[in-house]
Amino acid sequence: MVSIDVDNLGLVYGVRRKLTLKRNRLPSAAGPGGRIGGSGRNRYVTALDGVSFSLKAGDRLGLVGSNGAGKTTLLKVLYGIYRPTSGSISINGRVDALFNVSLGFRREATGRRNILLRGLINGRSRREMEARMEEIIAFSELGDFIDMPMSAYSQGMAARLAFSVATTLEPEILLMDEWIGAGDARFQQKARERMNELTATAGIVVLASHNEQLISRVCNKILALEGGSVSYFGSKNSYFDTK
Amino acid sequence: MISWLLAGIADFRAAIDKRNVWLALAIEDIGDQHRHTYLGPLWLLINYLAFTGTFVIIFGRSFPIPNFAIYVAVGLFVWLYISEVITLSISLFAREEGFIKGTTLPLAVYVMRLTMQSLIRAGYAASGCVVIVLFAGNPIEAVWLWSLVALLLIFAVTPAAITLLAVAGAYFPDLQFVVANVMRVGMFLTPIFWIGDNSGGMRQAIYQWNPFTYFLEIVRAPVYAGAIPLDAYAVALPICIVTWIAALMSLGFSRHRLVFVL
Repeated sequence: MVSIDVDNLGLVYGVRRKLTLKRNRLPSAAGPGGRIGGSGRNRYVTALDGVSFSLKAGDRLGLVGSNGAGKTTLLKVLYGIYRPTSGSISINGRVDALFNVSLGFRREATGRRNILLRGLINGRSRREMEARMEEIIAFSELGDFIDMPMSAYSQGMAARLAFSVATTLEPEILLMDEWIGAGDARFQQKARERMNELTATAGIVVLASHNEQLISRVCNKILALEGGSVSYFGSKNSYFDTK
Repeated sequence: MISWLLAGIADFRAAIDKRNVWLALAIEDIGDQHRHTYLGPLWLLINYLAFTGTFVIIFGRSFPIPNFAIYVAVGLFVWLYISEVITLSISLFAREEGFIKGTTLPLAVYVMRLTMQSLIRAGYAASGCVVIVLFAGNPIEAVWLWSLVALLLIFAVTPAAITLLAVAGAYFPDLQFVVANVMRVGMFLTPIFWIGDNSGGMRQAIYQWNPFTYFLEIVRAPVYAGAIPLDAYAVALPICIVTWIAALMSLGFSRHRLVFVL
């Protein structure tokens, strides 16, 4: 049964002064957002603190919060890019994620090659990807652009490609960071329909966005983050009623 | 420390399971590097032949080394491979930032991607090297097979060297400039076109204390002198073992931390 159980999750990382010959007074800002604590050489960032929630098959969770609240960080912890420093995560189901277009794709390669590479990265075989290639291309509606390098794509076109690959591979859990906001209105509608199909077939969608209209249309649960901590977790209706 | 070692081994094992990913990416890399060129990767062979030819013509009369063409061809082939691997390794994880922050691939996948890319590139130069060696006049002997053994040893330690340097480069970005300069100077401090002697002078010291000397010698001596350089193996083998242990430990230590450094 597809599910996500997160219990008292925390992510703290040290702010490292880069070992460089250059004068470097500012701490490295390479990591995720969060609250900066400590002083001098012992500065650290609490990116997530005491985050707990559970999702079951069919849930569509909207992650909301201001910039640096921990939305993307939480998605990356759920996907396995960041390892939590405390608490536990239990995930049942095949996970795929859509982050920024610059992450996880090869900009120099054509759309077609990226479909193959993305499939291989997700553990699919070359034969399986070649069998599903035309289906993915058709959903993306990229036409002849599919054989152009991805660097020639607009943000919306790249989003179409990424969304098409991820959802055609039928993940049981799909994590998305603002992605559906890219692309034109017609593709957004198509993407919403596909997400509904995904959740209807016992999947889970987690969508981080600042777009409350979008969250309201797509999600049935809301998790609000403030400074890495949960300020609300519950149904969409009661969240928007209390606002 | 043991846990780092085991974590490093686990990362490499996971990368082996993902071999179709790094093989595909390495082939992409070679294609990209020569996109829009008429000769494509053949430029790798042309560059090697031009480099070797220049060395042989310019230094051929200055150094009283018999079979100078073989000496230079093999030495330069090994040096160019080592030099390229080291130079590209330092900035490896910085170049792979997009994948490291967007996928859950093991870090060793990127190491193997560069290893594979370097091997493919070396294959083009190797074809030129083989032609020079075959046509330079020395009769083919069974002892030449030791050169292949030596090459396999160098190829086997390549992922370890890449790992170690890539981790170091991620934590200390200035290293890429230090290494670039060291490799530039290293070309002249490594016996590619000159030979070590027993004069006890500076040249002898450089010959003996330069670790690259021994990797060149294990490949070159069987072809050039018909000898198995056991003394060079006595240095090269321990270097390989220590490099692998250090690489696995550094990978195990950094596999979940590196994403916060980039």
